Amino acid sequence: MIALLLRLYPARWRARYGDEFAAVLEERPLGPFDVADILLGALDAHLHLRGLGAASEHGRGFAMSLRIGGYAAIGGGVLWLAGLAASSADGSDEASPWLALLLAGTVLLLVALIGLSAFQAREYPRLVWVAFLVPAAGTIVSTVGISGMWLAGDKLWASGPSTWEIWMIGVLALLGGSGLFAIATWLTTSLSRIGTIALGMAAAVMVLTFAGSLSGRIGDEAGFPLFLVGILAFAGGWILLGVSAIRAGRRVVLPAAGAPA
Amino acid sequence: MSSGMSELGRFAEPSIAILVSLSDGPKHGYAIMADVEAGTGRPMGPGTLYAALARLEERGLIEALPPVDRRRPYRITAVGATVLTQQLRELSEFAELGLRRLGRASG
Repeated sequence: MIALLLRLYPARWRARYGDEFAAVLEERPLGPFDVADILLGALDAHLHLRGLGAASEHGRGFAMSLRIGGYAAIGGGVLWLAGLAASSADGSDEASPWLALLLAGTVLLLVALIGLSAFQAREYPRLVWVAFLVPAAGTIVSTVGISGMWLAGDKLWASGPSTWEIWMIGVLALLGGSGLFAIATWLTTSLSRIGTIALGMAAAVMVLTFAGSLSGRIGDEAGFPLFLVGILAFAGGWILLGVSAIRAGRRVVLPAAGAPA
Repeated sequence: MSSGMSELGRFAEPSIAILVSLSDGPKHGYAIMADVEAGTGRPMGPGTLYAALARLEERGLIEALPPVDRRRPYRITAVGATVLTQQLRELSEFAELGLRRLGRASG
């Protein structure tokens, strides 16, 4: 009886679920309700497998958004940190070639924000959009500042702020916005918790330290290690979020479609 | 319902019951059926169970673990937990709305 009922299902479905389905049916005697339910299930499996092509496209798009966002977060975190460290070590007011790394890292972080926000926006859409727009604006302003420093060095721009100041305004928006992004990520609970904490902590430490430095409450001796912790947590947080996004993207698979016919 | 569960059509309700069942740890097919019946008071047929399991797995809301004998356990993914939380929150808000309206109508 069980073998006969199983034969009603498509071969592709049986290849994936046949064994375990048979094991479930063997657990207890089949009643009329079970048999009717299995018949409807077999009909559904035939119809569902036909429609799987469209669903698989949706799933692939979803997984791709996670993977692109994940790889961009890892690349962005690494390049941003390396570019910042190298151009700071350079110490020159003139254009530093290392700024290209910082520029590439900043652009990749913008890509990461787009990919991961698209994934998270299914929930808390308002928070996620704010958490996307603030750091995205920050990365764009920061990119303008870096490009200016790269092309002309740290100089006044149209008698207004210097290119370094423009970059710092962008970085602060990026940091503060990353804090919002960390809150949105924490609420959606789907990416790395440690990465989320690191990103949120980095935002809090950096913004508070910067405010403390401006007001004179935090001196250089205390400020430097705090900035260092914030920078490392910021880059580390993005890298961890990127790794967990790639893993989450791999779990969005379509086993029935990939099963042997 | 939002968060993608509406795409599951008539399997949306069984899918929520399955996700709730898996939210306290991995279970194989028969254990899910027994748990859902104990929790809702209504039996879930094996055809419905596997139609819903296949859809949940396709969407990455659950994942299959290596089989033990012929029984394959499933566990809820992080994405599945997020979707379930959202669904339960929406259901809870809807239930509260209904109860408030009933309270006003009877009061």
